[in-house]
Amino acid sequence: MSSIHVENLSIKFRIYHDRSPSLKEYFANLLKRNAKPSYSDFWAINNLSFSINAGERVGIIGHNGAGKSTLLKAICRIYETYEGSISIGGRIAPLLEIGAGFHPEFTGRENIYLNGSILGYSNGELKKIEPEVIAFSELEEFIDMPVKYYSTGMYMRLAFSLATSMHPDILVLDEIFSGGDASFVAKARNRMLELIDKANIMIMVSHDHLLVKSLCDRILWLDHGRLVADGAPDEVTEQYLAGRK
Amino acid sequence: MSNDKYRLAELYAKRNILFRLVAQQIILRYRRTALGFLWTLINPLMMMSVMALVFSQLFKEDLKTFAIALFAGMIPWNFFSSVVSQSTTVYINNEGLIKKIYIPKMIFPLSIACGLLIDAIASFFILFIIILGLGGGISWAHLFLPVSFLLLFIFAFGIALIISIATVYFRDLQHIVLIFLQGLFFLTPVLYKSNSIGGKVAWLIDINPVTPFIALFKMPLTESIVPTVGLILRAALTTFLAISLGLFLYVRLQKKIIFRL
Repeated sequence: MSSIHVENLSIKFRIYHDRSPSLKEYFANLLKRNAKPSYSDFWAINNLSFSINAGERVGIIGHNGAGKSTLLKAICRIYETYEGSISIGGRIAPLLEIGAGFHPEFTGRENIYLNGSILGYSNGELKKIEPEVIAFSELEEFIDMPVKYYSTGMYMRLAFSLATSMHPDILVLDEIFSGGDASFVAKARNRMLELIDKANIMIMVSHDHLLVKSLCDRILWLDHGRLVADGAPDEVTEQYLAGRK
Repeated sequence: MSNDKYRLAELYAKRNILFRLVAQQIILRYRRTALGFLWTLINPLMMMSVMALVFSQLFKEDLKTFAIALFAGMIPWNFFSSVVSQSTTVYINNEGLIKKIYIPKMIFPLSIACGLLIDAIASFFILFIIILGLGGGISWAHLFLPVSFLLLFIFAFGIALIISIATVYFRDLQHIVLIFLQGLFFLTPVLYKSNSIGGKVAWLIDINPVTPFIALFKMPLTESIVPTVGLILRAALTTFLAISLGLFLYVRLQKKIIFRL
């Protein structure tokens, strides 16, 4: 069974007021005992605890800078230094930013293999999904062309098709992406819904309350890295919208 | 400890990414060029030929003997210096990837070292043919060369782990390292024999950690003898120290890299 347990999670960012210290300044600061630090600490996530069990569809809401994306990145292990603990059961697929690791000089087909391996697919799996990815992205004619000649729409179509071609236990989404023309957007939406439907756990961040309400059965409201509310979509979004006024 | 074992298992599980990154590194260099991969071989070859011509005159040595010794020294030196200089920016260049998706970060310096090892082995075979053409013979001592490559690879990778993490913290290092490598080249017995320089700099050449690795290549290739046990032990100890320090720093600091990019 898939699960996510987050306990007393805190993530700190260090903000340098001017820039990262140089070697010289680092050693100079070692000598100065009471030097004023040239940075301040900022808690993106502050003592957060929750559990997500199999079958749940969780939406995370909150205004900009509330720590939503940081939380998703911590769940996907992109941020690993934190206080508290995160334990994950199940194969996780991060769809945070699609197309990460695409190389512009490589052809579409080569990028399927490069990006696919980064997404955690094995070579065997990639061989199996390759024709389907190419067909879904409608790039048959251009697949052996370097992606630097692709239009933004073509690029997004390929990245989306690849990222959504496997069915993970835990699906992590940062906004539902769209790209390409109207017919592709509709097709992509259906594929996304199917992926969400088959995932054991879905956790997403979105600013679109209607979308979150329609896709999720539980909402976490974050504010300044703290959990403000956790409950049924209608109640929490209502509180959130009321609180914002 | 169990955590470290887990890390190694994870690296093995993600070897697919390593292969792709190494292939990317090699393919990109020659795509859309007429001579392709050959450029990787022609470049050092031309460089070494010019150096052999000039320095054999300067040192008043026989061109053939000098060329063989120079080739034998340049291959390990070029490998070491490329691994170290390219590792400085490895995390900085891959910032986009590191911030978007989880990958064991060691894969980045490891892919650089593996890519350069492939280049080094390829140019080694070309140079070996040239050495044979120049009148060098094949000897049993050459069977030691895989060990030389292995020790050199682990040593260079250890230094790369140290330098790559240190540069994330102190960006000045990418320039310092380049200058340092240029200086180190002249303190490494590549152009000359290790015992031919006396006086005030002899001890610098002696304590230079790269010196024994050059000898591990020069002895089998120029004198057809297996390196002495003392030399092998010295190289092995240096390798052990470099990789231990590299892994120690990596394990301690790898999770913090993302906050410093």
